[in-house]
Amino acid sequence: MADHRFRPVSGEKPCCDISKKAQICLCVVFGLLVVVIIAVVVGIVMSRPPPQHQEWKGAGTTAHFYEIILGRCYTYTQIVRPELGHKDCQKIGKAFTNAFLSKDPCSSTEQDYQPLMELTNQTVPCDKTLLWSKTNELVHEYAWVQQELFTLENTLLGYMADGLRWCGDPGSPEMNYQSCPDRRTDCSNNSVSVFWNAVSKRFAEDACGVVHVLLNGSVHNTFDERSTFARVEVFNLHPEKVHTLQAWVMQDIRNISSDSCSDASIKNLKLILSKRNITFTCENNYRPIRFLQCVKYPEHSSCRSKI
Amino acid sequence: MAALGRASSLLSLLPLLLVPAAGAGGARWRGEGTSPHLRSIFLGRCAEYSSLLSPELRDKNCTAIWEAFKVVLDKDPCSVFPLDYDLFISLSRHSIPRDKSLFWENNHLLVTSYAENARRFMPLCDVLYGRIGDFLSWCRQENASGLDYQSCPTSEDCENNPVDSYWKMASMQYSRDSTGVIHVMLNGSEPKGAYPVKGFFADFEIPYLQKDKITRIEIWVMHEIGRPKVESCGEGSVKILEERLEKMGFQYRCINDHLPVKLLMCVDHSTHPDCALNSMILHTRPRTCGCGGSPVLLH
Repeated sequence: MADHRFRPVSGEKPCCDISKKAQICLCVVFGLLVVVIIAVVVGIVMSRPPPQHQEWKGAGTTAHFYEIILGRCYTYTQIVRPELGHKDCQKIGKAFTNAFLSKDPCSSTEQDYQPLMELTNQTVPCDKTLLWSKTNELVHEYAWVQQELFTLENTLLGYMADGLRWCGDPGSPEMNYQSCPDRRTDCSNNSVSVFWNAVSKRFAEDACGVVHVLLNGSVHNTFDERSTFARVEVFNLHPEKVHTLQAWVMQDIRNISSDSCSDASIKNLKLILSKRNITFTCENNYRPIRFLQCVKYPEHSSCRSKI
Repeated sequence: MAALGRASSLLSLLPLLLVPAAGAGGARWRGEGTSPHLRSIFLGRCAEYSSLLSPELRDKNCTAIWEAFKVVLDKDPCSVFPLDYDLFISLSRHSIPRDKSLFWENNHLLVTSYAENARRFMPLCDVLYGRIGDFLSWCRQENASGLDYQSCPTSEDCENNPVDSYWKMASMQYSRDSTGVIHVMLNGSEPKGAYPVKGFFADFEIPYLQKDKITRIEIWVMHEIGRPKVESCGEGSVKILEERLEKMGFQYRCINDHLPVKLLMCVDHSTHPDCALNSMILHTRPRTCGCGGSPVLLH
C-alpha cells in the first residue's frame, strides 16, 4: 500500500509535504477564501434591515409630526398671536425633537424639555388663565369664542403639541411611527405624558389673579384627584399671585341634576385650596357656556326658559 | 390635549388681516405682503389637515400640492388668473359631505365657530384648499423674482392678483362640489347690505352651484347682538338674493337669526336682553319659498 502521503518530511513543517509552488497556490487560495468569507459576512451585515424600533402598546408618532409642529408654530406666531412674531420656529422645532429623539421613551424627564420650554416662554395676562378637567371639547369651544381667555392649548407650546403623539428610540435617530408607550400599560414617564406634566406645571406657575377652571358636573368624579388638573395644576398655583380659583361646573344639558357645586369632590377641592390660602368660588352652569351647550340642543327646554 | 380639540383650530384668528392702507409707508400695493414662512405654514397645514382631520385624505401629497401652488409665485402679481391654480385645486380637492356646505358673507369668525372645525358644517375654510390659504397672503415682486413681503395687490390694485384668483378658483370648486342642502349665513347688521351683489358668493359661488345635486338652499340672516337690524329676510339685498335663487329654479328658505347660531352669538353677550332665551324663539320662524306659489311669510 502506498503510504506516500504520510512520508515523513525531515526537518520542515510536519504536515506540508508539497512543493513550494503548491504551497504558494494554497496560501493564495486560502487567502482568497478568507477574503470572500469576510466579504459575504460584511454583505450580510450591511444588508440586514436596520434594527427595529421598540414595540409599544400605544399609537405611534403622528405622521408628518415635524411639518405639523413647524406649521403650527408659524401660524401661531405670525397670525394668531403676532406679538410673538420674534420667536424662532426653526429653533423651537429642533428643540422639540431633540427632547425625545434617540432617547428611551420611557425615561423622559422634564429636563429633556427645558430648552424647548425656554424658547417658548409666554406671558398669559392675569385673570385669563382657563384650566379644565373632563371638558375638553366644551372648554376649547368657549376659548375660541372668548378669545382673551387662554387654555394651555391656546399658548404657543400647547397649540403646537395639541392632539399629537411622539416618541423616539435609543437605538435610532428617527421618530418611532409604529408605536409609542401607552401611559397605563407601558410606562408613565413617557415622552408625551412628561411633556404635558411639564407644560401644565409651568402654565399653573405662571398664572396670576383669578384663575378659572371648567369642570364637568355630569361625571362621577367632577374633581378627580388623578387628573392633571388636580395632580399638577392645583398644586403649582402660586398663592402670592393667584388669589382666587373660580370653578364653572357644567352639567350635560340633557340631564341636569342637583347642585354640582355642593358635590363632595368639589368640597375636597375647596379644602385643598384653602390650605394653600387660595379662595375658591363655584358657579353651576355658568350662563355663557350654557349658551354654548344650547347650540347643540337648541330645542331643549333649558334652552327655551330663562336661566 | 385631545384628538380634535384645539388641534384643528388653526383659525383661532384674533387679528384679521391689517386693513389695507393705500400706498402707506411707500408700499407698492394696498394689501398685506407675503406671509413670512409661507411654505412652512402651507406644508404644515396640509399635513395636519390630511393626517389629523380626515383619515381618507391620507393619500394627499402635500409636496406635490405645494409644487403646483408655487408656480404663481413666479408670475407677475397682476397677471395671476384663477386657472393658474387649476393643478393645485385638482390635487387638493376632495368631496364635501352632503348637506354640510356653508357659504357666508361678512361673518368669517362666526362661521368658523359655528362650523366647529368641520364637525357641524364644512365651510370653505374647513376644506383642504380653503384651510391651506386661510388668512395668508402671497405675491411675487412686481419687477423682480422673489416674493414681496411688503405688500401685495388687492382687487383695487388689479383684478388678476394671486390671492383673489386663488379664492375665486377655490370658491368655484367648493360650489361645484357642494350637494344636498346648501346653507348661507349672511350678516343682517352689515350697513352695506347682507348680500353683496358683487362678491365671492354672488359671482363665484352661486353661478357654480350644481342644480341637479342640490335639494334646497337655506339662508340665515344673522343680526349682531346689540347692533341694528339693517336687513332681514325679504328685505333689501336679501330680497335680491331670494329673487335670484327663485329665478334660477332653486327651492329656498330664509330664516332670521337661526337659533343655534344666535345661541352661539349669545355666548359673548349672555346678559344682553336679546339673549334672554324666552324671547329668542319668537322671531326665528322661517320664511319659505313654496316655489310654485308666492312666498309665505310666517311669524
